[in-house]
Amino acid sequence: MNYETIVIGAGLSGMMAALGRAERGERVMVLAKGHGSTHWAAGCLDLLAEAEDPLGAINQLVQAKPAHPYALAGVAALEQALTRVRGVGEAAGYPLVGNAGRNLLMPTALGALRPTAFVPATMVNGEARQLGDGRPTLIVGLHELRDFFPPLIAANLRAQGYPAEGVYLELPPVERSHDFSPVVVARLFERPAFRAAIGRQLAVLVRKGGYARVGLPAVLGLYNAVEVVRELQALTGALIFEIPTLPTSVPGMRLFQAFEQALTKAGGRIQIGGWVLRGEGSGSHLHAVFSEAASREQRHMARRWVLATGGIMGGGLRAEHTGVVNETALGLPVRTPSGRSDWFQARFLDEAGHPVFRAGIAVDAQLRPLDAADQIVYTNVAVVGSALADCDPIREGCLEGIALATGFAAGQL
Amino acid sequence: MDHIELSLTQSLDHCIKCNICTSACPVAAVTDAFPGPKYVGPQAQRFRHEGQPVPDASVDYCSGCRVCNQVCPTGVKIAELNARARAQIVAERGLPFRNWLVARAGLVGRMSCGPHAPLLNFGLRLAPARWAVEKVIGIHRKAPLPASSTYTFRAWFRKHRAPTTARRQVAFFHGCATNFYEPHVGKAAIAVLEHNGFEVLLPKQQCCGLPLISNGDFKAATSAHEANVQALVSYARQGIPIVGTSTSCTLTLKEEAPEILALHSEDVQAVAAGTYDIFEFLRSLAERGELKTDFRPIERHLPYHQPCQYRAHRLGSPAMDVLSLIPGLVLEESHAECCGIAGTYGLKQEKYQIGMDVGAKLFAMVKRSGSDLALCDSETCRWQITHGTGVASKHPIEILAEAYGLEL
Repeated sequence: MNYETIVIGAGLSGMMAALGRAERGERVMVLAKGHGSTHWAAGCLDLLAEAEDPLGAINQLVQAKPAHPYALAGVAALEQALTRVRGVGEAAGYPLVGNAGRNLLMPTALGALRPTAFVPATMVNGEARQLGDGRPTLIVGLHELRDFFPPLIAANLRAQGYPAEGVYLELPPVERSHDFSPVVVARLFERPAFRAAIGRQLAVLVRKGGYARVGLPAVLGLYNAVEVVRELQALTGALIFEIPTLPTSVPGMRLFQAFEQALTKAGGRIQIGGWVLRGEGSGSHLHAVFSEAASREQRHMARRWVLATGGIMGGGLRAEHTGVVNETALGLPVRTPSGRSDWFQARFLDEAGHPVFRAGIAVDAQLRPLDAADQIVYTNVAVVGSALADCDPIREGCLEGIALATGFAAGQL
Repeated sequence: MDHIELSLTQSLDHCIKCNICTSACPVAAVTDAFPGPKYVGPQAQRFRHEGQPVPDASVDYCSGCRVCNQVCPTGVKIAELNARARAQIVAERGLPFRNWLVARAGLVGRMSCGPHAPLLNFGLRLAPARWAVEKVIGIHRKAPLPASSTYTFRAWFRKHRAPTTARRQVAFFHGCATNFYEPHVGKAAIAVLEHNGFEVLLPKQQCCGLPLISNGDFKAATSAHEANVQALVSYARQGIPIVGTSTSCTLTLKEEAPEILALHSEDVQAVAAGTYDIFEFLRSLAERGELKTDFRPIERHLPYHQPCQYRAHRLGSPAMDVLSLIPGLVLEESHAECCGIAGTYGLKQEKYQIGMDVGAKLFAMVKRSGSDLALCDSETCRWQITHGTGVASKHPIEILAEAYGLEL
């Protein structure tokens, strides 16, 4: 009904902003088209990929690039956001571990090593510096689980100098005979008998092979993953770690659930399935948005709005074949490379990245959207996350960092 | 190809195979028989061509709860694809008698409602009778069948004396359940609307056609919808809101019938645009400051389940919003995807257990609440909740009427 703040988008930036506003005592709703970016991503927090010390590098970046989302939100907002998100994880029994001053190197489902700053406690034993302690690592999976190939992961780890072997486990007897997506297997890991059976197989392998660590796909339960890891460690005597899978991402779902719990506890509401089509304002004040609904649009009223709909991947920006990039919810002006021919570099894998991925909404220091003449479009709207201009979050490896920092800032304004 | 069909087909290409729908699907979570919305929807659709045999019948295990549509981040119309695919199977292989029967809610209701209802209700509580019904027809012996009423809602309404102070009019769509099984829900709705200054009109109407749609009998569903549109369109054209207490009926009038059956005449659109779920309607009154708030406090803590069919209106949680105005009343949301019954799905012998497994999360929540009453906007869900928990269930409009202190 009448909300003080409505946040459009249920990814990390939106949930962070909504939590901030709800904890200030406001009536808050998150309005989102569907589940999104959290369920697609690895469930880790990337701050800045190309740096050993992300926080140090971000301190330099905000000096060099004053329009970058990190510069707008400020490093202090990032640090406070990290404290808050770790509190959210802690409260849900799902701690996030790491250090903003030193990137971790985490194995992927291809056995490559990916830098990220914070990971769930269920993953941390797979960090590359630990894998390099000379003791062998075992990577296991299930034939039934798609797109996770332990021999491939192990071979790629070996190629990088980490002793590793990969094997498939036997699927313990279950009533299902097909379709083992990550979420299906995660639900099986919620069953004590299932994980005990997996634990027994692992114990035998560890005893025979003398493995110090066992890496499994990130499917060790939807709700009690930390407990599952602890239990498997007790059964095997080895350190257990999860490796992110292809979507749907179970660690991403856990992170969303943790935010959902925190927001609900703070009195916030979430409406999933509400696709915002347009806004209605007078002058520089946005007073309503309309979401798609059965037979007619639903009108939403609020005093303040946070736009957290994501970039091109998240659906917040849409690149048209006509050569324009549109902001899909409110029709805000988008800063785009001038013509379609300037969207892309000549080479597909160009190191500089394609200019179109830096397209987004320009904002002022309070994250309010600006038009081409740098005038504020709406004074009561804050734009957060990947919808912001002057940043290529995936290439820069700062997707979660800018989401959290700008989301936190919008929660405090 | 009509424009809906075109948009359904084109929405296939918006599927990025992220599996979010399959991860959220309550049916795929509990059974192998249904491989999940992504497979039977956007994927199998590429193999469905006119004049060619249906590639895969597992779409029949889709319960139609529409959770897939709700969570899809890219806007694929999965539930609509599935409904049409099921109809294609029915067109090809025919409709089993059991599905023909359970799809005819109006016919079944008319036959069972009346002075003979107590006898029938008694008979249907007897285990041997239910065993026979299961063996002969295929309705599971434990499935929750509603108790028929001794009188219809319409008969009550004819004798009902309305206050003469009304300033505005609404048309009430009662649906089959209120008419034949639960007239008290309709009475509560009438009382609440009249208390708020409305004259309630009762248009001619028949079954909204949803059970026909979900059993794939599109021909019968089309004639049901056309008859309803004919009966309702004059109200819509006069700007008289059409308001219903059965949230799946109102969704059918608003969207399911037009979209799934490809009915897009101006009359159909006018009825769709003029139809409201009752709490959607009351919430819009509240937003305009026109809802009476002379509530007596109700000091209770009650579990509330928003039916999947209500979430499919994509309006948030109107009943929660309105009931939150009642002093003292605290509602605990179920956060369960579906109760499992999905209209007629959970009645069927081969699907009953799936329905119960789908509902397990909701049943546990209701039992954990310790309450002797649960609230839910949809009749079949209420019967399923009571069946799964032993806890009585009411439509939220009944609590609202109670809060107004209205005599029913």
